[in-house]
Amino acid sequence: MSIIVGIDIGNSTTETAVARIEDDGSPEFLSSGTTMTTGIKGTVENIPGIVHVLEEATDSAGIAIEDLDLVLLNEATPVIGDVAMETVTETIVTESSMVGHNPGSPGGKGIGVGKTIHIRDLEDGERNGGPDEPVIVVVPREYDFEVAAGIIREAVEAGVEVQGGIIQGDDGVLISNRLPDPLPFVDEVAHVDKVPLDMLAAVEVAPKGHAVRQLSNPYGIATLFSLSPEETGHVIPIAKALVGLRSAVVIRTPAGDVQSKQIPAGSIKFMGEHQNLTVELERGAEAIMDTLAHVQPLSDVQGEAGTNVGGMIENVRQTMADVTEKPLADVNIHDVLAVDCLVPQQVVGGIADEFSIETATGLAIMVDTDRLLMERVAETLAEKIGVRVELGGVEANTAILGALTTPGIDVPVAIIDGGAGSTDGAELQKGKVVEHVHLAGAGNMVTLLIKNELGLERFDVAEQIKIYPLAKVESLFHIRHEDNGVQFFEEPLDPSLFARVVLVTDDGDLIPIESKHNLDRIKTVRQEAKRKVLLRNSIRVLERISPSGNIRFLDFVAIVGRFGLDFELPQMLMNELSNYGIVVGVANVRGELGPTNAVATGLIINYCQRQGEAK
Amino acid sequence: MSENTATQVVQEMELKEVGEAKTGSSPDEVVIALSPAFGDQMHRQTLTKIPHAAILRELFAGIEEEEVKARVIRVWRSSDLAAIGFDAAKLSGSGISIAIQSRGTTLIHQRDLVPLAPMELFPQAPSIDLSTYRHIARNAAQYAKGDHPSPVPQVNDPMARPKWQAIASVFHIRETEFVKPDEKPVELEVNFKK
Repeated sequence: MSIIVGIDIGNSTTETAVARIEDDGSPEFLSSGTTMTTGIKGTVENIPGIVHVLEEATDSAGIAIEDLDLVLLNEATPVIGDVAMETVTETIVTESSMVGHNPGSPGGKGIGVGKTIHIRDLEDGERNGGPDEPVIVVVPREYDFEVAAGIIREAVEAGVEVQGGIIQGDDGVLISNRLPDPLPFVDEVAHVDKVPLDMLAAVEVAPKGHAVRQLSNPYGIATLFSLSPEETGHVIPIAKALVGLRSAVVIRTPAGDVQSKQIPAGSIKFMGEHQNLTVELERGAEAIMDTLAHVQPLSDVQGEAGTNVGGMIENVRQTMADVTEKPLADVNIHDVLAVDCLVPQQVVGGIADEFSIETATGLAIMVDTDRLLMERVAETLAEKIGVRVELGGVEANTAILGALTTPGIDVPVAIIDGGAGSTDGAELQKGKVVEHVHLAGAGNMVTLLIKNELGLERFDVAEQIKIYPLAKVESLFHIRHEDNGVQFFEEPLDPSLFARVVLVTDDGDLIPIESKHNLDRIKTVRQEAKRKVLLRNSIRVLERISPSGNIRFLDFVAIVGRFGLDFELPQMLMNELSNYGIVVGVANVRGELGPTNAVATGLIINYCQRQGEAK
Repeated sequence: MSENTATQVVQEMELKEVGEAKTGSSPDEVVIALSPAFGDQMHRQTLTKIPHAAILRELFAGIEEEEVKARVIRVWRSSDLAAIGFDAAKLSGSGISIAIQSRGTTLIHQRDLVPLAPMELFPQAPSIDLSTYRHIARNAAQYAKGDHPSPVPQVNDPMARPKWQAIASVFHIRETEFVKPDEKPVELEVNFKK
């Protein structure tokens, strides 16, 4: 009789299972534990986390670490992943020819066209008759709203045709309210000093709940400025940039222009065993993934030197070279996942600190490591705890052994084992060698997409959005969940939650999200990110492990690892895979642990099988 | 351009009592509640000599810019800011109130909260300037509309306590002398004088 431990070091969590091996060679599981992985997976920095989880698990089994006879480590999943993102388009405004943004409260509504004039000149001009053509007044912050409204009112009464205004402060409504007839005012224009004066300009403020129509329509702009057909062609980027905004200004300057241009982001060269292919990053995720599919099996990837993507790929390679202490040339990229997304970026040359939605491409990259590394972890761990440590089998294979402890499961079966860094898969058929595969892109990639698409500053906020469902605080006594269910409270909620979109944790705690996005937008972004990365990768995994590459040849699929813990992914996968006639479900390791602990459990089962064969 | 900053536009105002303050029914109002001595009773200005009239004007402006209505009342029964704000929130059609003391301390309250836990509290009167008052009003109006603005940023001056605590206490003691414990809150009409 002996006591052994299986330890699974993942990219984000380290899991363990403790078992007593009976005299007949069968395992009796005593306890399990989970903790955060310390350091990058497969390095000696993992040791503190391992020791912590060992203490936790042995404690709950009522034994000490010294009582252990053997520790089994997963054989270094030979992959380490990293994620990065590059924007591939940008919007540039030259000569301050456009303001388009959503201030909280623009003044008035309607459209005004006239020459831009500083309010100072409007006031001075009143004394000598004033301008005799329509004007758009520009009001810097130094002018109090009542003073500004007074000047404009006097000008209007003196016969000046004031058509609207561009205001620096948040005074649009205040000024408009103080005029005999309300006029459109675009306010909160931070760099009002950059607005060119004495130029023809158009101001549009849409009614509440609407977006500007005239200025987001090229013919609308052409009508206001009497443009020729050729000139109309040039205003398309302006109109496009103003789509969906509540207020906008377009100024006609001699050389002013808005460009939506592609950033030369570089190209990626896939080197396969049979052929090499190159693809430009700006062609988007679809083209990149198609190219990758053509060069399979992949032996390495290179980014074009001196470009963004080149830097991005070499960065990952360098990090991995440092971690693994291998020469740079020996670090080979094993898989790439490219995902398109839309990210808010500040407009270059904008005068109201505007943002526009630009296209970006995210890449998850996976690098080969080797067994040597894990052996070093094993040696260091053995020294530290004084117990024999062995490497016990390839992760995907042990995961499938663990998954097989699920009640009601049988071979042939395929598993999808998703974590933070990689999506792994394996297939087990009766009497047939287990197929396994490791692909780039998993939970961390989803978090990165959420962070960028919502323009969040912090990674941990995006991480929480990924793992918790949403709700809207409708009053201090009730919230509405994202599925429209209402929950009431006896005591008032914290004032900081008032009217906010919140995340509902497993314990029922509410975490407010500091962003302007509404619940539906956040939900859509979250689900799209999961679809683009997790669903897509799950299907890629199944295609690779399925005999003949056709998913339809699989019958049973079990989800293990953190993918199985996600509150919506299993359902999303089931919806998707039911089209292929596949049974998909979340594993329940040892009938009690759910989708976690499959590898740690599998390590122990694998050990028992090997002992049995030896006898 | 000599008179183009907000502080110089209004120095004085007239406050006229127009009967007992009723519970509002329109959901688009924010109630501004004044402490017993605010405005015409004692100093007419805060610790840092900001005229009370100028503060009220900024509060009005911030609320108007959000297209919400302001209603002014005076709470007589207490000089305690939380009590004033809570009373006012219960009278407010939107459930949102702004309460302000003579020395300048301010808060935003909501009727469903417990009295001592307001939505936003601005405890250091000396570090609140007119643009902050405007921002406070804007936030209150947005709460009334069911929005969730970011809390008003506050300057935390570690020297504010040693420098102002004594005089702030005297201010408060003086203000408390104006309290009429049995008096109901009254509605006020505000007329600014140039």
